[in-house]
Amino acid sequence: MSLFLKFIVRAVLRDPVRGVVTIAGLTLGVAVVVAIRLANVSSVQGFEAALEVVAGKTSLEIVGAGVGVPETQLAELGWLRQYGRVSPVIDRTAQLETLDGSVSLLRVLGVDVLRDQPFREYRLLRFSEGDQEPSPQELLAVLLDPTSVVLTERFAVRHGVNLETPVRLRVGDTAHPMVVRGLLLDEGPARVVDGHLAVLDIATAQWLFDRLGWLDRVEVQLFVPDGIDIAEREIAARLPKGLRIQRPAQRGRQVERMLAAFHFNLAALSYIALVVGLFLVYNTVAVSVISRRHEIGVLRSLGARRSLILGFFLGEAAVMAVLGAVLGTPAGWLLAQGAVRLTSPTVNTLYVTSSATVPQLGFEDWLLAGLIAVPLSLIAAAIPAAEAARVTPLAAVRDAEHQVNHREFPRKPVVAAALFLGLGAWMSTLEAVGGLPLFGLGAALAVVFGAAALVPILLELMRRFGRGMLTSWCGVEGLLAHANLSAAVARLAVSVAALVISLAMLAAIAIMIGSFRETVTYWVGQTLQADLFVATADRAPIGSTATISAAVERDIRTHPDVVAVDGFRSVDLPYGPGGDLIILGAGDFGVLLDYGGLAFKVPAEGAAAMRTAVGRDAVVVTESFSLKHEVGVGEAISLDTPHGPRQFRVVAIYYDYSSDRGLVVMDKATFARHFGRQRPTGLTLYLDPTANAEEVRAELLAAIGPDRRIFIRTNATLRAEVLRIFDSTFAITYALEAIAIIVAILGVAATLLTLVLERRRELAILRLVGAGREQIRRMVVVEAAILGLLSQGTGLVVGVVLSLILIYVINVQSFGWTIQFHLPLGFLAQSTILITVTAALAGLYPARVAAQIVGERAR
Amino acid sequence: MSVERKMKTVLQASALRKIYGQDDNAVAALGGVSLTVDAGEFVAVVGPSGCGKSTFLHLCGGMERPTDGRVLVGGVDLNELDDEALTRVRREQIGFVFQSFNLLPTLTLVENIALPLMLAGIPRAICRSRAEDGAGQVGLSHRLEHYPSQVSGGELQRAAVARALVHRPVLVIADEPTGNLDTENGQRVLRLLKTLTSGTVAILLATHDKALASAADRVLRMRDGVELPSHGAVLAEPPHVGLGLRR
Repeated sequence: MSLFLKFIVRAVLRDPVRGVVTIAGLTLGVAVVVAIRLANVSSVQGFEAALEVVAGKTSLEIVGAGVGVPETQLAELGWLRQYGRVSPVIDRTAQLETLDGSVSLLRVLGVDVLRDQPFREYRLLRFSEGDQEPSPQELLAVLLDPTSVVLTERFAVRHGVNLETPVRLRVGDTAHPMVVRGLLLDEGPARVVDGHLAVLDIATAQWLFDRLGWLDRVEVQLFVPDGIDIAEREIAARLPKGLRIQRPAQRGRQVERMLAAFHFNLAALSYIALVVGLFLVYNTVAVSVISRRHEIGVLRSLGARRSLILGFFLGEAAVMAVLGAVLGTPAGWLLAQGAVRLTSPTVNTLYVTSSATVPQLGFEDWLLAGLIAVPLSLIAAAIPAAEAARVTPLAAVRDAEHQVNHREFPRKPVVAAALFLGLGAWMSTLEAVGGLPLFGLGAALAVVFGAAALVPILLELMRRFGRGMLTSWCGVEGLLAHANLSAAVARLAVSVAALVISLAMLAAIAIMIGSFRETVTYWVGQTLQADLFVATADRAPIGSTATISAAVERDIRTHPDVVAVDGFRSVDLPYGPGGDLIILGAGDFGVLLDYGGLAFKVPAEGAAAMRTAVGRDAVVVTESFSLKHEVGVGEAISLDTPHGPRQFRVVAIYYDYSSDRGLVVMDKATFARHFGRQRPTGLTLYLDPTANAEEVRAELLAAIGPDRRIFIRTNATLRAEVLRIFDSTFAITYALEAIAIIVAILGVAATLLTLVLERRRELAILRLVGAGREQIRRMVVVEAAILGLLSQGTGLVVGVVLSLILIYVINVQSFGWTIQFHLPLGFLAQSTILITVTAALAGLYPARVAAQIVGERAR
Repeated sequence: MSVERKMKTVLQASALRKIYGQDDNAVAALGGVSLTVDAGEFVAVVGPSGCGKSTFLHLCGGMERPTDGRVLVGGVDLNELDDEALTRVRREQIGFVFQSFNLLPTLTLVENIALPLMLAGIPRAICRSRAEDGAGQVGLSHRLEHYPSQVSGGELQRAAVARALVHRPVLVIADEPTGNLDTENGQRVLRLLKTLTSGTVAILLATHDKALASAADRVLRMRDGVELPSHGAVLAEPPHVGLGLRR
């Protein structure tokens, strides 16, 4: 250990920049991985925590197919009481408007107070002035008043609400005057979503939410909780058709599955910075070994064993890794705050509304950081450390100065590049594993390693053929820069490879996002044909969405400029053996075919095929549904309905990018036949061609009146909104990539600095023979710019290959979307200039150091 | 000093002192040495290792600044020059030859020779042509595209001589130029230096090889950082047999 401190630690301290940069790179790499893990966990945990608390002591729940449990069936479920207590529930969201004018989104539980008390541990803080803890009967007596609502103490304090305070509960487009009749103590369910919870009597909730005759679920609290497996099986066997039994946690698992691909891709992306950080470890240890061959030789000649030398350099890597992990874990927690801010809008818009807060760092986070940083760093350092162990004592007596290596063309990298690229090509043809693009990512990783293997070849080509060109372009500084880089090909290869990889990923992601955006823009142009889109204010990506009231629909339909209205209804439906939550939609096929414009994938005559679905048990499905569930045109799919599973024939597949969960759409008459008449959750309006959409929108809003809260978007606004959501979805992607590039550029700067410090004597000679400080500075900056340009050029080519894998393999396997390939030339040109300039700027510090070297050293 | 004398004086060093470090750590490397060298003159600086020869040469070549005293090269006071101007003086008026050759390992011999011209911004074709001429004069025409690692020590030092002269300096400073060479190569390098600088370029050469010093027109003898009094003759001992370089 003492020798390790003297030989390794002192050397690192003597040249701290390289060590600091490597540890900073590792810290960032570990931080990004930890941050994305925490962000991913937080989005699911937020939902699951709310689920768990609201579920309370519920053991099992009975749910219906899509639209809920018909209340009439409750009477048939009397036998459930043999197993435990039974409580029907309405579980929705609504907006609450308080006296101060603020509007908050609340989770609303409609319960039968008499039955629900054992299920959830909520206690009333106050019921009426001076009263404490009312009996359920007293509570029921108050809640039976359809204007009564119970809020939480936390919410009340924050919004200045008290008992008997009037509030307005906005459900869908209708605001209902209510009065606060009780406050829940700040514990149990009352703490859910930060106190944003309201409790109503179930009948009131049914009425407010247009759910008369329907329940969202029936909860069961078993008398014998340990017998849950048996009870679940027995109840499942006795349930009438159309009803299912599940454990509350299953909803959380469904959400987890839904988010799995999104989270998986984010996690994969988060490892890029770490990979770049590992290249830095390799680079640092390699430079350390190369520059200290002489000292290693001395140690060997004095009797040091090979294993000791190996241990020294592996120890150097391990120390850096431990520091990277120790610093990276808390840094990851901080980064997670930003990551959650960036990912929450996507999760909330596309998947599930949850209150995501970053969990505290746990033992598993530190463990994860250690487990990824230390072993991977040791693997990265193994090659140079083994090289160090092979140094013979003769190295001590040989000239330790570096010699220009006029070697044969490197063959090993050629073979390695060919093997990796071949492996990548093969893996890209393999299918997804469990819905995750494991082989696709493997293919991308193989291409990344293939690109890394290409770098020494490219540097060698630059060495052999670049001198004349660089001298012509940059004069003597170009010649010197080329000469310097040529002499350091072996050392530069790794740090340039790291930069190439991160730039290739940036290019690939930019191409993928650019292509996706172009595709979505085209799709929006083709499919968003309606002039106005009507929706309620509290649309949620999952769960029950408020409906458009009959009054509002009537106002809209009677407007003289509205020539057609398509009322759209969507419900979540578990599908397939895994119970994946798909979206079942119902629309007016007649209107859609006459006025709308779905983009069909198959058959070519999709509209004609869709027309055949009207009046029959037939559906059209989205491309992502078709790919995820391997369903083609002409095949039948089985959907749960309130009357039990029913078969529906798929007549067409259309392109859709609104959700990767997969949509199945049927004509509204078919839907009504199976699911009962349901009010629409959204309306699309087609106007008279001579009408002005903005004017009609204003007239409709005026007709509907200020008391009804409704969103009417014009076609242009909705298109802009789609692209805004799209852009926010990929904000995290760019952020992760930027971090990887920062790490890589740090690596290039550190390598350049090392080269400068090692070349002190040569720089001094240059100064002696008349090179000015400015010329030395320019030389180093030209070196940096050459590396930047070379890396970006290679990165672009490799990036195109990676983007093909992202677009045609990973994306299709993860989300089931067809994306048309499109090169964002403007972005790529800008990034090329930016990276070259940034790399040149990264050379400024080494250049400054180089320029300060004086001729005196060249004795 | 007469006008005529001033015209032909290439180097004038007056009472040069150099102290490294400060206070208790201060070490006097040079204690007030003066020297004047005229165009075409060959002056040897001799003395044992550590006597201050190299420090004196560094000060004369503008590689370091003296603690006290003045250095004039071609009539220009180096003390008054900023870094860039000093660089220009080195690039245009002085050529350097060192014991360890000091060629850049990453450049070919012809590129090494052309380097001072290229740094001065002279067009590439002219640089190349003059570097090839210089290489020819030192017998390296067949080694133009070789790298330093591919040629012998004698060839390296000949290339260093060609580099020191390619920009036609007024002063060549050579610090132990034959120290790493065998006798034959040492003689050859010295002969080249004298032949190529004959009559126009001043040479200031540090050595502890008495035989080499015997080839000089004058000798500056140093010990412990100060100049020893001259005995009138170049050396007490006779010159190295066979050198035959006295002129």
